[in-house]
Amino acid sequence: MEKIIEVKNLSFSYEKEKKILNNVSFSIYKGEYVTLIGHNGSGKSTLAKLLSYILEPNKGNIYIENEELNEKSIKNIRNKIGIVFQNPDNQFIGSTVEDDIAFGLENRNIKQNKMKDIVDEYAKKVGMDKYLTKTPEELSGGQKQRVAIAGILALNLKIMIFDESTSMLDPEGVEEIRNLILRMKKENPDLTVISITHDIEEAYLSDRVIILNEGKIYKNDIPYKVFSNEEEMKNIGLDIPFVLKIKNKLKEKGIILDENIKNIEELAKELCH
Amino acid sequence: MAATNVLGKYSPYNTVIHKLDSRFKLFALILLMVVAFLPYGNYTNRFIVLGFLTLIIAIIMIVGRVSFSSFFKSLSSMWIMFIFLLIFMFFLPNEGEYLIHTFKNGYSLYWDGLLNVGHIILRLVLMVALTIILTSTTLPMDITYALEWYLTPLRLLKFPTQIVSLTISLALRFIPTLLNESNRIMNAQKSRGVDYNRGFLMSKIRSITTLIIPLLVSCFSRSDELAIAMEARGYDPYKKRTHYKTLKFSYRDLIAILFILIIAGLMITVSVLASYYPGFDDLINYLWNIKTI
Repeated sequence: MEKIIEVKNLSFSYEKEKKILNNVSFSIYKGEYVTLIGHNGSGKSTLAKLLSYILEPNKGNIYIENEELNEKSIKNIRNKIGIVFQNPDNQFIGSTVEDDIAFGLENRNIKQNKMKDIVDEYAKKVGMDKYLTKTPEELSGGQKQRVAIAGILALNLKIMIFDESTSMLDPEGVEEIRNLILRMKKENPDLTVISITHDIEEAYLSDRVIILNEGKIYKNDIPYKVFSNEEEMKNIGLDIPFVLKIKNKLKEKGIILDENIKNIEELAKELCH
Repeated sequence: MAATNVLGKYSPYNTVIHKLDSRFKLFALILLMVVAFLPYGNYTNRFIVLGFLTLIIAIIMIVGRVSFSSFFKSLSSMWIMFIFLLIFMFFLPNEGEYLIHTFKNGYSLYWDGLLNVGHIILRLVLMVALTIILTSTTLPMDITYALEWYLTPLRLLKFPTQIVSLTISLALRFIPTLLNESNRIMNAQKSRGVDYNRGFLMSKIRSITTLIIPLLVSCFSRSDELAIAMEARGYDPYKKRTHYKTLKFSYRDLIAILFILIIAGLMITVSVLASYYPGFDDLINYLWNIKTI
């Protein structure tokens, strides 16, 4: 598989004594859906800032498609990476939904007659086509995040980073975004998605989970393996997904379920048949 | 939502007024404001002309489905000014045509003061009404497009029109967001015992700082995040950008322009005649004379 992001020996600290990130290395492959999780202070949001070049690393490098991330290359790399941020309000730039989706297109000098079609297409993809002329105050947090996603999808980028995009949403909004990411991945398997999150349910649905703990990579594996040990997870301040919890409890009672069950619907089906 | 905007808020209807070109609306707004402030000779003239303008504006408000309650709400913040005007204009001048009463010490009251205040207040109310028509029927983004269009000639002088118009549109976009935020902060502070309504000047100032400081801090962090988000989406202030929307002039705008120009033209004619032809300074008499001739 083709490496799309490579992080090599990355270290970062705000003050000298305390290292937020300590010699972190990992790779992400084309078309993967990777979630980065960790409890507060694990360094995950710092890593997000480093990946989007809001902060500069003290040591180590980040390579995007074999190109080092630095002051010079950032303009080019912005055309490969889109970022959905945490606060839905502070990334809504246009005064209406359609203006906001078009903002990135305007910056890339897309012709006006093409822009309208692109905006319509991607608004539809995120299910916001009925709200094109609505202003941000009329929308819920989840809807605003969907607009932000549409604005980035419309640019046809290779990599999408979700920087705690669901942490300010209500449960309904979290669910919306979770499903949207999965649908997006299904429609475009080449899209690489990195989601920095504290939503364990989302992590369980991804291809690979990287757990950060005290500035170091604690685990880097497929979700089922990562979450297999409940005790271990609790020790570093994380929980395990609901479906796994039920499976574990059932296991104690001697009922063993299929490994591939990922969500509650499948679990219900398996239990009821 | 508790946040109400003093200058009116966009109301998403689809009326004729909404569909008009924002450049034209901005032009018409300024033209009618200027016309409202022209001299029209004596008080009869002034009230006839301003009454006519009021009627036109009221019709526009009804057609554009402008919310009258929000209009009166924004007027309510001006009533202190009106009272001051009333006191100064009514009691201070010591001259005029229509005498009410002369006191023993030689001080006299005239109807003129009252009429003067009346027509000044009417002008201000009309100004507020015009602004509210613009903001409630035009998206902030469209207003900024219009501004940008009018600023285009300045580009020859290397004036960054794009940056200015984007800044204005962002400011307008964040007004409701920040109003909500200030409401939230106020409620949070109230629940901690801050009283915004009672107390004298100093304690009021002190309680206001409990609102202003958190609001400022959040403003800065917001603008920081916004700048990062804009950059991440490839915004470069000095690069050429395309526009999602361009303003299109249609036959509707042409009719509207003619309509506004005729009204403004009529009023300007009255004003010019009233100032240069002494016989014209009483519109009623003049019209009466035409009939009798």
